[in-house]
Amino acid sequence: MNAKGPPRWAEFLLERALPARDREVVTGDLREEYAEFLRPQFGALRAGLWYLRQVSSLAGRSVGEGGTMGRLLLLSSAVTAMCGAWLVLMELLLRHPGFAARVVVALLIVAAGLATLLARLLHFGVLFERGLWVAAAGLIALGVVSFLRNARAAHFEGFVFIIAIVLVLQGALMLATLGRQGNQNRKIANASL
Amino acid sequence: MSDLVGPFEQAVLLAILRLGEDAYGRAILHQAQESLGRGVAAGALYTTLDRLEQRGLVRSKLAPGTAARGGRARRYYFVAAEGNRALADARATLARMWRGIKLPATVKS
Repeated sequence: MNAKGPPRWAEFLLERALPARDREVVTGDLREEYAEFLRPQFGALRAGLWYLRQVSSLAGRSVGEGGTMGRLLLLSSAVTAMCGAWLVLMELLLRHPGFAARVVVALLIVAAGLATLLARLLHFGVLFERGLWVAAAGLIALGVVSFLRNARAAHFEGFVFIIAIVLVLQGALMLATLGRQGNQNRKIANASL
Repeated sequence: MSDLVGPFEQAVLLAILRLGEDAYGRAILHQAQESLGRGVAAGALYTTLDRLEQRGLVRSKLAPGTAARGGRARRYYFVAAEGNRALADARATLARMWRGIKLPATVKS
């Protein structure tokens, strides 16, 4: 990259946020605008801020991909990641017997939520493709086990009930949408060979 | 009659027509900003170009990039016959809507 180009990390983020078809063309257009017009005219700071605004506007396109199921997957992934983080925090604060194992499970829930968000928003689906089926099955199994154990427990926990349902939902949506995204990525890769 | 195109889609189609053979992403962005008199986010432009292409209103082809782009390809856009029809329909619809109206309009109570 030449020294007058946009910040390397911002360009990397943009590349990841774009579908394969647009990657080269759009990053090229924005780099040209940055280097030939904005930076000489307004300086590195304002040109950098403009570039970041364009990255966020283009990353927003990923939210709409996959239709209603895609958006539901984003929502459920964000919920599971936040719930997992909350569980980690509470377990570490309360330190009931056996908390270490529960922290590990909660961290796995956070990781599953964040990984799915990355796969959807930044088109990392191909990287996760091999582990997709295992991860989705794991989420569904964890959700079902949590649901059943909670239903049989002496004290019913509404929070666990919600997480269990969202985990099953996320797993099912992952199978439905990321699998399809992987097929599309393969088609694009084959077409460009 | 083809599906009506919205105001932003019209601005993009007209920008492509004005630019002729030089209609690639960055040039269309500048032209659309100039005709609309406001800033346009790149996300909005490329989403619209994708949609117009899917609807068959524009076509595109790749061309080699320049040094300022780090050698990355340019995608040039052309308004297809269906796009020309859609623009003509939009203009005719607007003309019908405005027929007989003078501004400032007075409302009878």
